Amino acid sequence: MSIVEVKADVTGAVWKILVKVGDHVSEGDDLAILESMKMEIPVMAPSDGTVKEILAKEGDVRNEGETVIFLEV
Amino acid sequence: MAFEKKIREHSQLKEKALSMGGTKKLDQRKQQGILNARERIDYLLDPGSFEESGLFTRSVLPEAQDETPTDGKIAGFGKIEKRQVGIIANDFTVKGASSTALNAKKMGHIKQVATTRGFPMVYLGESSGARMPDIMGARGMAFSLEHNLYLRKRETPWANAILGNAFGSSAWYACMSDFNVIRKGSCMAVSSARLVSLATRGEVNPEDLGGWKLHSEITGLADLVADTDEQALDAIKRFLSYMPSNHMEAPPRAAVPKGSDEPVKDILDLIPPERTRVYDVKKVILKIVDIDSLFELKARFGMTVVTALARIDGKTVGIVANNPLYKGGAIDADACDKVCSFIVLCDSFNIPMVFFVDQPGFLIGIEAERKKITGKIINWMNAMALATMPKIVVQFRKNYGQAWLNMGGGKNADEFAAWWLAETSFMDPSSAVGVVFGVNREAEPARYEELLDKMVQDTSAHESASVYGIKQVIDPSETRDYLKNMLDIHDLRITRGVGQHLMRSWPTTF
Repeated sequence: MSIVEVKADVTGAVWKILVKVGDHVSEGDDLAILESMKMEIPVMAPSDGTVKEILAKEGDVRNEGETVIFLEV
Repeated sequence: MAFEKKIREHSQLKEKALSMGGTKKLDQRKQQGILNARERIDYLLDPGSFEESGLFTRSVLPEAQDETPTDGKIAGFGKIEKRQVGIIANDFTVKGASSTALNAKKMGHIKQVATTRGFPMVYLGESSGARMPDIMGARGMAFSLEHNLYLRKRETPWANAILGNAFGSSAWYACMSDFNVIRKGSCMAVSSARLVSLATRGEVNPEDLGGWKLHSEITGLADLVADTDEQALDAIKRFLSYMPSNHMEAPPRAAVPKGSDEPVKDILDLIPPERTRVYDVKKVILKIVDIDSLFELKARFGMTVVTALARIDGKTVGIVANNPLYKGGAIDADACDKVCSFIVLCDSFNIPMVFFVDQPGFLIGIEAERKKITGKIINWMNAMALATMPKIVVQFRKNYGQAWLNMGGGKNADEFAAWWLAETSFMDPSSAVGVVFGVNREAEPARYEELLDKMVQDTSAHESASVYGIKQVIDPSETRDYLKNMLDIHDLRITRGVGQHLMRSWPTTF
């Protein structure tokens, strides 16, 4: 079991969190949506796993490269 | 029988020369599920077509002569799908396929023949670096490296596979090649993890030093990742099928799979009605090109743009497409490098290019500037201007900012059509008000609205078309037909499909 950090690809505001702790997700699933450049930018699961921890709430700003979600794989 | 002794002697020497590193080492590889050098050649080339060169070469050092069949690198010529190629297969079971003056001489000959007679080179990379003790000392260096010439003018396509540890020679050829596939478990680096650990006194993991993830996601030095030797060799075959044999030929034309005209008809189903939402452009491209013809390069690198070889109506094309799925389609530094490299590839080998546009601008910010994005943007622009192969653009949705030029705007492409959905401008009007007048919507709402009115202009496709800024507005379902026609219209008839290759000596890494 290892922890994968799912990071923001771009600097943006967390518009929606789509999962809760404990959810099982597949590679490519949308975990959250960031708003940036007037677009809804998905934060996608890099692999299959379980949502371990959510590090942001809706409205928070996250910089490019900052972790948004911890995934247990 | 006359000559019996000579015949027997030749037969024995031949058997020895073909024996590679011996049964023990070969069995080891078999157990690991890895092909040996001769198995790789057999798998890749058309049966019976291998014409070996230098089979009887062996180390020039008397003490090493018996243990160095082919001096560790197997070289020659053969056919892939009936087309001639030159091939170098490193034999790792012989002294780690280490490099010597002799095997460099052999490689040099194959390269020279391929270059002057006009056919591709294939390199199967797996080597430990320079041979020691041969290269030690000033004299060793002078003799070993005297004939090494690493020169790339893109006369013929070069395809490379990294199939294991690849230090020195195998790494150089991988980076100089037009296509590089890396098999998982390989390590491509200047030198081995062991040497790095010895030199720096720290432990280093080979995957971190030069593994598939590093090269497919961070450096972009690998175009594709394979799970097995066979997959990697299949990828080489596939890459070559899109390419001409040399730069003075148009790419080969393939048959068009049945039903290829159908998928584009419901292409609009893939596009979200809201302009703020994203989609995966790969799915869109699949509906436009010939069925099963999409061959993406650097899929895990610079993911905000897709660079892929494909076919339209049987003709090879090079596709550059913004992918809104990543960063909303904003173009980042890695994507600039990837596109620049791809333009050089297509233009050097007479492949017309198709650009699909849906981008909100370059990705701005400190991270981008630290990666010298301004320089990379200009590299790309320069490449667009220097490309003499046809460039055809279809704009799907957004097209903002400077990137409008990079994606084929103005003088940078030969044809430009847009879907009726398209919108074009320099900057989002609300940002423009902030930047030009420093007025904030919350603080001064009335003034803001007044200024916003000035900035909002018609961004529609029809507005652009009215001044011939784009040459045609089309329905999404017409995209394939539009491209088929434009590719035919822009066929370089006068030079039989051959461009001017002004970037043939551009760098092999960006």
